[in-house]
Formats: sequence, C-alpha cells, structure tokens
Amino acid sequence: MTKLKVEHLKKNFGDLEVLKDLNLEVQEGEVICIIGPSGSGKSTFLRCMNHLEEITGGKVIVDNYDLTDPSQDINKVRENIGMVFQHFNLFPHLTVIENIMLAPKELKDETNDEIKARALKLLETVGLEEKADDYPKSLSGGQKQRVAIARALAMQPDIMLFDEPTSALDPEMVGDVLEVMQRLAQQGMTMLVVTHEMGFAKEVADRVIFMDGGYIVEEGPPEEVFNNPQNKRTKDFLDKVLI
Amino acid sequence: MYKYKRKLFTFIMALASVAAIAIPLKAEATETENTKGTPENPYFITTDVTYTPFEFQNADGEYVGIDIDIIKAIAEDQGFEIELRPLNFSAGLQALETNQVDGMIAAMSITPEREESFDFSDPYFEAGTVMAVSEVNSEINSYDDLEGKTVAVKVGTTGANFVNELQKEYNIEVNQFDDSATMYEDVIAGHSDAVFDDYPVMAYAVQQGLNLKFPLEPESGDVYGFAVNKDQNPELLEMFNEGLANIQENGTYDDIIDTYLSEDAEPAAGNGIFGLLAANWKDLASGLGSTLVLTLISFAIALVLGTVLGLFSASPNKVMNVISSIYLTIMRGIPLIVLAFFIYFSVPQLFNIQMSAFIAGVTTLTLNTAAYISEQVRGGILAVAKGQLEAGRSLGLSYNTSMRKIILPQAIKIMIPSLINQFVITLKDTSILSVIGIVELTQTGRIIIARTYSSGSMWLIVGVIYIIIITILTWLSSALERRLTND
Repeated sequence: MTKLKVEHLKKNFGDLEVLKDLNLEVQEGEVICIIGPSGSGKSTFLRCMNHLEEITGGKVIVDNYDLTDPSQDINKVRENIGMVFQHFNLFPHLTVIENIMLAPKELKDETNDEIKARALKLLETVGLEEKADDYPKSLSGGQKQRVAIARALAMQPDIMLFDEPTSALDPEMVGDVLEVMQRLAQQGMTMLVVTHEMGFAKEVADRVIFMDGGYIVEEGPPEEVFNNPQNKRTKDFLDKVLI
Repeated sequence: MYKYKRKLFTFIMALASVAAIAIPLKAEATETENTKGTPENPYFITTDVTYTPFEFQNADGEYVGIDIDIIKAIAEDQGFEIELRPLNFSAGLQALETNQVDGMIAAMSITPEREESFDFSDPYFEAGTVMAVSEVNSEINSYDDLEGKTVAVKVGTTGANFVNELQKEYNIEVNQFDDSATMYEDVIAGHSDAVFDDYPVMAYAVQQGLNLKFPLEPESGDVYGFAVNKDQNPELLEMFNEGLANIQENGTYDDIIDTYLSEDAEPAAGNGIFGLLAANWKDLASGLGSTLVLTLISFAIALVLGTVLGLFSASPNKVMNVISSIYLTIMRGIPLIVLAFFIYFSVPQLFNIQMSAFIAGVTTLTLNTAAYISEQVRGGILAVAKGQLEAGRSLGLSYNTSMRKIILPQAIKIMIPSLINQFVITLKDTSILSVIGIVELTQTGRIIIARTYSSGSMWLIVGVIYIIIITILTWLSSALERRLTND
C-alpha cells in the first residue's frame, strides 16, 4: 500500500531553487535512506513531507491526505508523521516524561494514566525508564535523541522522519540511537531517514536515494547503489565517504 | 514553576476583572445628569493643588484655604453638594473647558480673555500681582532693574500676563512653573531673580518663613472670581453669587479671611528632615500607597495586553503584525505626559464621557507600558530556538498550543529581567501622573512643600523613598526570578 507520494515537488527559498521536480513513492513498512552531499536539499525534502517547509510546487500526499491542499488540516496529518531532529529539540522546561506526554495529552482522546503508561513503556524501549523525571539538560546527547524518538512515537505515527539523527552526537553515542532506529524498522515502521551513516543505510534501508543539486540523482536497493552506482556523481560522493 | 505561573495568572486575571468592572460602573454613574448638586451627584469643583493660602492640604490631608472655605460655606448656605477635584491651575482650566468639572475656584483673576471662555461670578477677593525677590537681593528695586534678568511665573496666571507686558519694554527671560512653591524655591535658590504672583499668596508664604521680600507695592485692580464654563451651569453661578452675598453679610467671609491672612496666623512646623518626616509620614505613606497601587494595577493589565500584542507581532499573520506595529508606533511616539493629558482631557470630550483621574492615570500607564512589554514578549519569543516551535508543530500541535505550552513558558524566563526593569520604569513613570491631579508620591511631596516651603529636605525624602521601594521590589523580583529559573 502506498503510504507517501511525492509528485513534481518544487521548493524555492526566494530566488534559490532548492528542490527541482522530485518524485517519490513510499510503500507501507518501507525504510528509505536519503544520502547526498550537504546542500543537496535532503533535509528540505524531508521537511516538506510534514509541511515544516512551505511547498512551492507539486504535490505531497500522505495517507491519501494532500498536504498541498490549502483546506487540509495540516495538524491532523502531522499527528501521523513523527519527526526526529538533528538537534533533538527537546522541551527544556519539561521533564523527560512530560516531553513525551505533552502532545498526546493535548491531542489524544485518552486518560492521563493510559498516556503515562505508554510513555513509560516507550522510555523502557529506548532504555531510559530511570530518566523519566529528569530534565533534558541532565541527559547526554544520545539519551536526548532517544527521548526525542520516544516523544515522536508517543503520538503513534505511521511514518517516521529522521533528519540526520546522529550528526550532532559524539561517536560513542551513535550506536544506541541507530539500534533503536533499527528495531523500529524491524517492527514495520515506514521510515524516511536523512543520514550520513552509510553502514546503517546499507544494513537497514530497503531503498537508498542519492540526492544532489536538488534532484534525485539515483535510487535503488542499497547493495546496488553502494556497490554498483550508475551515476558519476553518486560514485564520486561514495568514493569520498566510503574510504 | 507551574504553580507560580498559575498563581500569577490568577492574580492578573483578578486585577483585570476588577478593572473591567470598575470602568463601566464609572461610566454609568455619570449618566444621570439631570439633578446636579445632590449628595449622589455633586458639582465637581476644581481648584489648584498648591496655592496657599487659597488652597492647600493641611497636616491632616484635608483641603483647606480661603477658596475652599468660601466655596464650602456657600455650598452650605445654598444647600448644594460639591466634590473637590484639585488639579494644577492650567490643567484645571482645561478640565473646566472640557466640562470635566462644573466649576473652578482657584484664586483666578477675572480677565477679559478668560471671560471669553468662562462665565465668572461676582468678585470674591481683591488682590494684586506683586514682584518678590530673595531677601538678600538688593539689586532689584524697580521694574527697570529687571532688564536682562530672569523672572519666575506660574503658567496661565495674571502674574505671567503681567510679565508678558513687561517683556515688551524690558529684556526679561521667563521661567515657567506649574506650582507656586517650586516657583518661590527657584528664586530662593537663585535660578530666577524675581517672581510675580498674587500678593496675598506670597504675603502668607513670607509670613510662614519664606525668605522673600517685596521691593514694590502690589499692582492694584485684580479681582478673583468663581468660574463656570461658558453657558454651562448658570444656576451654580447664581447660587454662588447669592451665597457669597449671604456669607459676606453674616460675617462668615471675614472669619475665613482672618483665619489665613491675619498677623497671628499659625506658622508652619519645623523644616528639618526628621521634623518633616514626623509631621508628614501619613501623607507620604498614602502617596506611596497610591504610587504602588497605580503601578501594580497598570502593570498587571499591561502584562496581559502586552503579551497579546507581543504574540501578534511574533505571529506569522501579517494583519496581526500590522496591528501590533501600529500600536507600538503610536505609543512610542507619544510622550507619557501628552498621553495623560490626551486621555484625561481629549478622550472625555471626544466621546462625551466623564473619567476620574485615577482611571485616566491607570489607562495612560497601561497603554504606555503595554507597548514596551509587547516588545519584550516579542524578543522573548524570538529568543526561544526555532526548533522548539518545529518540534511542537511536527507532533501535530497547533500554533497556539505550541506557543502556550512550549514557547511562552521558555520565553517568560528569558523576559523576566527586562520585565523587572520595565516594572521599575512604570513605577517611576507614575510621578508624571501628578499633572492630572493624582496624588501619588511626587505630588504628595509637592503638596507638603506648598504647606511647609521646605523643598530642599522634602525632595531628598521623596527621592530616598523611591530608591528604597524600588530596591526592595527589585530584590523581591530577583528572588522570584531565581525560583522560576531554578526548577
């Protein structure tokens, strides 16, 4: 079943064309890794999927909801799309458990106890149940990112967007975060991941997309893209990152 | 932290609702215009705040003086009720002109210019303008000696007009003042060389120990009258004239004049700092009380209004941006004193309502403070990382919910130091409201000086009170700030 469909997506920042005619179809349960040099438009592309960026042209359809339709209640669609940011963006004035419970408490038709139970369970899955009542400032980067994943999952989304989730982490923290993401993928979550972790992309992705200059230059199963890239630009990029 | 916010919010809402209830009540009270002069609907009479011996506050804080006693005696004789609305002389003239008050008795000379705007009663006092100089001044003995000198006058008075005439012949520089005591002090301090004012007023002051002397005899011919606005309240004028005739006949009038102008009138108390404090601490405390009440109410309402406007200007909505920026441009462009005059004098005239000085004062401070708070709110919101809003929105929270639950709680912490600063500014700005007759701390100081002629010590006392109270409030706010940011 098609979970997400992008047709002729265009995005300008003023006069600057950042995304030029992108097309993509994502099936339910598919894990897609988006790679490419910085400035290629990967993050902007991802941020168009939940309309954090105004879309200049084309269509983005998520779960049969057209994000580009002005009458579409964007908040409703976003409830089903979780997002994890490079810099975590945890709410510093709330405890870990409050961070996770905030959105469900506002938006879900559940009791406080039900939400709390789910939040604690999610914390357990990311291995941080003992941090429930701590404030984010007392956590390490890796712990913060795992809380951020739990926070996104608390809304029970069908799709998860990851925007360079490990780029801001110390190397020894990266593993824990990737492990949580891998488990999520195994459970059948539809995921779009902008990443520089080629190992993760090789191992977990169903499909790898290589972007450059605002275009999707190449896409395919990881073994094809990594082992036998068709496009010269893909090859050049991989030569640089896979030493 | 949650608890504090909630308490603060409740407090603000309580104050706002008190204000919301109080304002319409005020408007209602003025609707029954038909039977003036009853206890429920008295004539509003304005008078100068500080013009001894015609009007001043005694040590018990009651208004007394020749004018006050005369209007009270006449009101009693004629059986009507009055309520005093003391204002600075020039502000009183405007209040009468704009029908904010019904009559004015303020040692006002009857002049042809004034008769164009007002209707006057029969004269109730004869006084002439006189020139006074410092006791130690031996240079100025005639008007000729004023060539090249500086002269102090009070805005809008006959003395000021007299000096205007003198300026045609001599090169005289003029310092303008709003109250007599300050004007006299200016001469004693040596900033001005001479002062022109009504003879009985200065004679009383000199008798009370003011170091001035009169090199010349008073000019003759000036008479004081009670005034109403042109063609307004003719019955009040009639009653005044009848009552005046009665009290002049039965001796009440002479008793009043003797009380204030006879040789053995009681001299003022000692002028040392501690003597002044001992004699006036009640007045000072109540002045300080009004300053604090004005500040707290205005600041609380301004906090609500300023937050709304700040949210408008930080919002992505262009219309809201424009509304907020127009408001800011207007409020930043108007000096507070002009805003106070506008709200107290122009607004009632434009919308045909009556407004108490307190309501006008609170409105002025609120509108002004809200503009600055809105800028701080906007700054606070912009200082919260952009990713915070994105994180909230990506979870499906609406813009408003994200603001309320995520951005504002963080912005408030950032804003607290500048809000404390704004609070101190607002507290100090209350002193400007003395121009519309609100008796806050600064005005209290002026009133005490009008009675004691002790500006040197009094301004020191008032200044120290401001410093103490602002320091205490700053400490309290810093403690609050620590508690809010330490969770």
